[in-house]
Amino acid sequence: MTDAPDLTPAEADDMLAAEYVLGVLDLPERMAAEARLKTDADFAAMVVAWEAHLAGLNDSFEDVAPSAAVFAGVEARLFPVAPKRRWTVWLGGAVAAGVVALAVIVTLPQPGPAPEVVADLSAQDQGLVYRAAYSDGQLQVTRVSGTRPGAGQDHELWIIAPGAAPVSLGLLQDETLRVNTPRPAAGWVLAVSVEPEGGSTTGAPTGPVIMTAEISA
Amino acid sequence: MNAPAPFATDAVMNDPVGALLIAVAAQDRAAFKTIYSDTSAKLMGVLLRILGTRAEAEDALQEVFTRVWLRAGRYDPTRGAGITWLVAMARNHAIDRIRARKPEQSDDDAVALVVDTAPRAETRLIAAGEARRVTACFDTLEPDRAAAVRGAYLDGQSYNDLADRYGVPINTMRTWLRRALLKLKECLEQ
Repeated sequence: MTDAPDLTPAEADDMLAAEYVLGVLDLPERMAAEARLKTDADFAAMVVAWEAHLAGLNDSFEDVAPSAAVFAGVEARLFPVAPKRRWTVWLGGAVAAGVVALAVIVTLPQPGPAPEVVADLSAQDQGLVYRAAYSDGQLQVTRVSGTRPGAGQDHELWIIAPGAAPVSLGLLQDETLRVNTPRPAAGWVLAVSVEPEGGSTTGAPTGPVIMTAEISA
Repeated sequence: MNAPAPFATDAVMNDPVGALLIAVAAQDRAAFKTIYSDTSAKLMGVLLRILGTRAEAEDALQEVFTRVWLRAGRYDPTRGAGITWLVAMARNHAIDRIRARKPEQSDDDAVALVVDTAPRAETRLIAAGEARRVTACFDTLEPDRAAAVRGAYLDGQSYNDLADRYGVPINTMRTWLRRALLKLKECLEQ
């Protein structure tokens, strides 16, 4: 930085981390810092250290009770009431055909611990497919065909609850993206957008959304 | 639920909010409800102070708790207390919102907030634990620089806002604040 030529690169990074945590950066600087945070573990550790340093100021925030509607809104977004299934009809049929069903079940292979595929995202014109599977508290998203976007760009994965804004789950790189999360409910949407390298810095998709898929039941 | 991770016991003993976050990461909706009733007033206070209006603060609070459910798995109890993680998430979201506002709007709000909350920033610092340590370290700074750091942290003021408030160029404000931050860090790490 022009005003502090005596800082080593590590010290300059530490100051940037402090300024980011303090919140004084303007929008472009803040966006650049947030992009770095996603890819630079050393910088992310400096940010965590500054959050701890300044957390002593948190007592100065006074408690203010929010209105009761807020939590109801959160629950409505996260846990939409599932539409009534035709489950009971199926069940009736199954009971009527009980013996046959039993015979079939016995011969079916046992379901193994393989992750359950919850959505396939594809952009067919680009030959690009991401497969989302869920197992053991983890959403795992793997590119099964196609390639990464060009230099200076990344694919970013988003999850969208009904009526809610997209929430980033992370960047889709060559290795499988693993996100520890509750299993998303059927009807939620996964989306992939093309973002500048390091991902969106605004908290919302900024580039074109190239694929979406609904989570299956 | 799954067998608790080895750190869970410590977290329960020392950090009830951190323990709740671990339960939320395991999809425990009762824990989610508890963490909301235990921390929503604090986070609402953070969001209201930075964003300035109840309507926007409540909208942001809804967004923050949606993210808490979706991202609780990223909370790492070895790296800090649960409440610190939650307040950081709320502050970041609020600051992202005000930085994305149109400049004239953010300036108006910043002025309103200076008038409204500056006295509280001076009087409300509770001397307990970490807070006491930070207070002692703030006392080693020149008063106007300590106030600038607090104004940035508590009210979400940018370098622009602070330069206007103190009537100095942005680069001067940046130099002031960086020196203050270095001094603060030295004191806190002693």
